[in-house]
Amino acid sequence: MNTYVWLVKREFWENRAIWIIPAAIVVLLTLAALFGTIEATFFDSAERTRSMAGMMFLAFGALFFAAMSLYSYWYLLDCLYTDRKDRSVLFWKSLPISDTATVLSKLFLALVAIPIVYFVAADVASLLAAFVLSVRAHSLLGNSLWHPDVWLQLQAVWLYVIVTTAIWFLPVTGWLLLISAWAKRAVILWSVLPPLAVILAERLFIGTHVILRLIGVRLLGYPYRAFDASGYDANWANGSSPGLPLGQPSAWRMLDPWHFLTSPSTWIGALFGALLIAAAIQLRARRADY
Amino acid sequence: MSPLIQARDLSKKFGSHVALDHINFAVQPGRIVGLIGPNGAGKTTALRAVLGLTSYDGALDVLGREPFRERAALMREASFIADVAVLPSWLSVEHAIEFVAGVHPKFRPERARALLAKTDIAGHRRMRELSKGMKTMVHLALTMAIDARLLVLDEPTLGLDILARREFYDALVNDYMDETRTILITTHQVEEIENLLTDVLFIDKGRIVLDCSMDDIAARYAAIAVSEDELAAARAEQPFHERPMLGKRILYFERPNFERLAAFGDVSTPSVADLFVAKLSRGVNA
Repeated sequence: MNTYVWLVKREFWENRAIWIIPAAIVVLLTLAALFGTIEATFFDSAERTRSMAGMMFLAFGALFFAAMSLYSYWYLLDCLYTDRKDRSVLFWKSLPISDTATVLSKLFLALVAIPIVYFVAADVASLLAAFVLSVRAHSLLGNSLWHPDVWLQLQAVWLYVIVTTAIWFLPVTGWLLLISAWAKRAVILWSVLPPLAVILAERLFIGTHVILRLIGVRLLGYPYRAFDASGYDANWANGSSPGLPLGQPSAWRMLDPWHFLTSPSTWIGALFGALLIAAAIQLRARRADY
Repeated sequence: MSPLIQARDLSKKFGSHVALDHINFAVQPGRIVGLIGPNGAGKTTALRAVLGLTSYDGALDVLGREPFRERAALMREASFIADVAVLPSWLSVEHAIEFVAGVHPKFRPERARALLAKTDIAGHRRMRELSKGMKTMVHLALTMAIDARLLVLDEPTLGLDILARREFYDALVNDYMDETRTILITTHQVEEIENLLTDVLFIDKGRIVLDCSMDDIAARYAAIAVSEDELAAARAEQPFHERPMLGKRILYFERPNFERLAAFGDVSTPSVADLFVAKLSRGVNA
């Protein structure tokens, strides 16, 4: 266990971008809140402004999530490749750390540690922006930012997204780790070209597009599996639509864990991802051309 | 005493290239063994097999373990420096000490710090700020602070200048070596380690061509310098290698009749480097 703690520390020493990028985004958003022009139309009811505030926080979250996805993609491709490239793998392998522990520590970073850093950064950015806006605007919008239920919902959405994306994108994660453990150079190209080649080959020689559909569903299908779109329409876009209790715009209804957890493609994908990770561990142990 | 390393029928292929061809060797505890061979002879492959960095065919026992399957466990008892300056550029000296202390049960951080205090390398420096020689000294300090039963060094000083190489071996001899240490080392600069070694293993084209202790070399091998007019008579003693030297010829013998050789002049023991050249020269007796 102690070894894992040190392996995680090590990753933070090596990859300072893990916290520098989200910190930079926090600074930019806070500057925007401080000096930007607020062009939001003020709604006539507290419920609408509250809904508006919730949307703003979700937009913040989406921005951090997009940055995190890009960074994690790069991190996963880089993590088992750089030390082979600079041959420092010969130092790491001289220590009593198994290849399984090494690969799992990188997986932990990508699935847990990095998302938590971004989660905290998104919270800090939201708090700072809410504070700045309420001081600057003295408005309904400013005041409506401070509702505990909105905050609570935001935390819940983040945690839900961290857990569900970790499961849903496990095949992608495993694939990137595999390429990172295998490629001699050009990891980004290798992460993209083989799937493209398979898709093309299938189309040319068999005339079908099963692989394309599988990959497409994996890359784009997450929101449909994990969220209930009708909940989004009803609650966030039309905060005061009749039939819903006013003043209760709710993220809870957007989350659809039942659908997500009972969808076979969730677990088939996760299993495939686990196999790819096992293969990455084997490659890490066997690849010795440094 | 049972050997620390025992290889039987050890083989490794890369595609159709045979890197190790059914080799057998053993390393006894307390010995300092030089694994010596030309480029591409299979030295590094053999060491990587011993260290569990690569899979292999045949039987290999290192400290009672099967290296490839049990590399992590093996690394608690064995340590190695493979190649020069492989410490990652982003790592600081102090973080390196902390990390190894965190993951290695037999690492003594205060010893590493004491060793580094003898140099002028500050703890906050990152590896990228250090010269190649300094990085090597940091790596050596980290390695010497591990209470390992086996130390493997693969070209630890390649590309370093003579001052840095001397510093490396002085530290190794003065601060590390004692009768409990077992070291397996490869290097191109055989002359520099010749007087440290207790045994040599010559490897060529994936095969062991000489496996001998330094004491046995004196008993087994001889070199004499003869002039042209004595050459025919000396050749009758069946040298396995000759080379010209300042108008004379140096003849190398294996298990000769030392008394008869003495008639030709001073019989000397060939140096490891000379023996290496003599043993591995293509076109022997040229």
